[in-house]
Amino acid sequence: MRCRLCNAAMSGNLQLSDLAWRPYQRLHLCQRCLRTFEILVDRPTCPGCGRANDGALCQDCHRWEQQGETLLHHSALFTYNTAMKAFIQQYKGLGDYRLHDAFAGMWPHWLQHWTLVPIVSEPGHLDRRGFDPVLGLFADLPLRQLLAKAATDKPQAQKTRAERLQTPQSFAVVQPVSGIKQILLLDDLYTTGRTLYHAKDALVAAGFQGKVQSFSLIR
Amino acid sequence: MDLNGRQLSEGEVARLMLSESSLAHVQRVPAIIGRGQKLQCQRCGSQVLEALPNGQHYCASCVNLGRITDQDSLYRWPAQPMTQNGTLTWTGHLTPEQAQVSQALIESAMQRHDHLLWAVTGAGKTEMLFPVIAHALAANQRVVIASPRIDVILELAPRLQAAFAHLPIAVYYGDSGEQPESQLVLATTHQLLRFYQAFDLTIVDEVDAFPFAANPMLAFAVKQASKGAVIYLTATPSQELIKRVQTKTLAVSYLPRRFHGAPLPVPKIAFGRHFQRVPAKVRRVLLETVASGRQVLVFVPQVDWLPVIERLVAKLGLSVASVHAQDPERATKVQNFRHHVWQCLVTTTILERGVTIYRCGVIVLQADSALFSAAALIQMAGRAGRSADSPDDPVWFFASHYTRSLATATSQIALMNRRGQHALSTV
Repeated sequence: MRCRLCNAAMSGNLQLSDLAWRPYQRLHLCQRCLRTFEILVDRPTCPGCGRANDGALCQDCHRWEQQGETLLHHSALFTYNTAMKAFIQQYKGLGDYRLHDAFAGMWPHWLQHWTLVPIVSEPGHLDRRGFDPVLGLFADLPLRQLLAKAATDKPQAQKTRAERLQTPQSFAVVQPVSGIKQILLLDDLYTTGRTLYHAKDALVAAGFQGKVQSFSLIR
Repeated sequence: MDLNGRQLSEGEVARLMLSESSLAHVQRVPAIIGRGQKLQCQRCGSQVLEALPNGQHYCASCVNLGRITDQDSLYRWPAQPMTQNGTLTWTGHLTPEQAQVSQALIESAMQRHDHLLWAVTGAGKTEMLFPVIAHALAANQRVVIASPRIDVILELAPRLQAAFAHLPIAVYYGDSGEQPESQLVLATTHQLLRFYQAFDLTIVDEVDAFPFAANPMLAFAVKQASKGAVIYLTATPSQELIKRVQTKTLAVSYLPRRFHGAPLPVPKIAFGRHFQRVPAKVRRVLLETVASGRQVLVFVPQVDWLPVIERLVAKLGLSVASVHAQDPERATKVQNFRHHVWQCLVTTTILERGVTIYRCGVIVLQADSALFSAAALIQMAGRAGRSADSPDDPVWFFASHYTRSLATATSQIALMNRRGQHALSTV
């Protein structure tokens, strides 16, 4: 078994603690590569968007509330530091699909209580990449593809913050939402929150009345 | 952009925004050929291909140059002869041995024979190349000097620019950006993947260095990019190259003597436990070397050691810095060390070759580490004694036990020195 990022050989030796309390998950990254990422778990974060701060609701989330949104109570695993930017560049930028399961097995346990709805790519991007980065990233989880995304003028990554926030709604709900209790939206990256709030709005507009929260690899 | 002899992917071509008419004479080939399990990337020769969810395959080996899939094409621009002013402006002199090797290289290049130049560290390999390069340039040929190590390329660039002052030399590495169209190209071996049948003379420096030795893709890159002779340069040839010499598919020149004529510094081996600390013996060697007016390169097997050893050396009152492969200031730090900003530089094997520091001692900590091959040890020892005024810089290998690599390295250095005593011999 080799590390997905640095290709270093990893020992398959188990420790007793690996087997205690929950099913053993084999990680696809070596300890050295893992240490280059900055973990957000067990740190004080904004209860609205999950960014690292003093634990108080941040300005951006206040603004979402003022716009009448119910907060997504977003949480994420890692910050968008240099190592994570390099990962995203390799995976989404270059399209190196081999990396899609790099973080498999690291998802928090509580995800299993939710109906997991991925934020899918728009058709044009899917065509160009040959894969959906979010579906790839969370491929080891049971996903319900309730949402479809229409084409937008340009990718979020190429926009300024103001442009991102003004992006029009492009999500449609393509499966019945009845019978679902609570939905957790999954995305690779939370930047302004625009995409995820659009996804939630689309679900609400389609008549979904349960709880909607969101989770991403990166904040 | 210089498109002479280039091989680019569809994505790269799209970014250039060329007109359809300018692409008319460009050869288009499928980027990946084959069926089922037997797919091969036509850019890097790799057969390990990854599947995409849409059923296409892409090459993961050369994905860093831009992804290519089995739906893509590669664009190959035919190589045109070039005429630039390739006059040799270097005014130095070769020793008789160097001149003889240089002549042998010219003959091999003319006959399009591959040639191995097996020369000890500090033999003056670069200078020996000048005549054969000048010869090829004068014949309107195109020459590339490639190395697996970017440090080697960056060190060679100014020396070659000085030697061929009228030529706008092109230097290609990961993010080198736009380069002039030139008859003389310097490139990392990875960048050769962006050329096809482009060079009449290909020179591969430090051919046994990582990652070239461990990576069949890079040997493929050399083969694809060249249409003439290939000259391999090294102080520590691999078994594979030696086998090619023995089966006469590779001519060889042998230079067992440094340009200044003095033998290689013979490493002294000291045993003891040297795990992440500086024991008395190492301390004494360090301080003595610095007191004799020399700088010291300290090699450690792993990046994790760097801060630890750096701190311990600093405690001895020496000015010290450390550098490793991912260090963003890597080039500046080496430059600073050369300008005597620090007395001591702690580093990993990235500085084992291509780096010339005058009056510099070498210390290798945990020289018995499995991460140090015999070639690596010879190369590290070869950083010492490079200048004529100090050919006997000290070299110390500190180890906790004896290894085959240590034995091979020391016996090879002794063998070179014995051979160097005799006049130049051709194997």
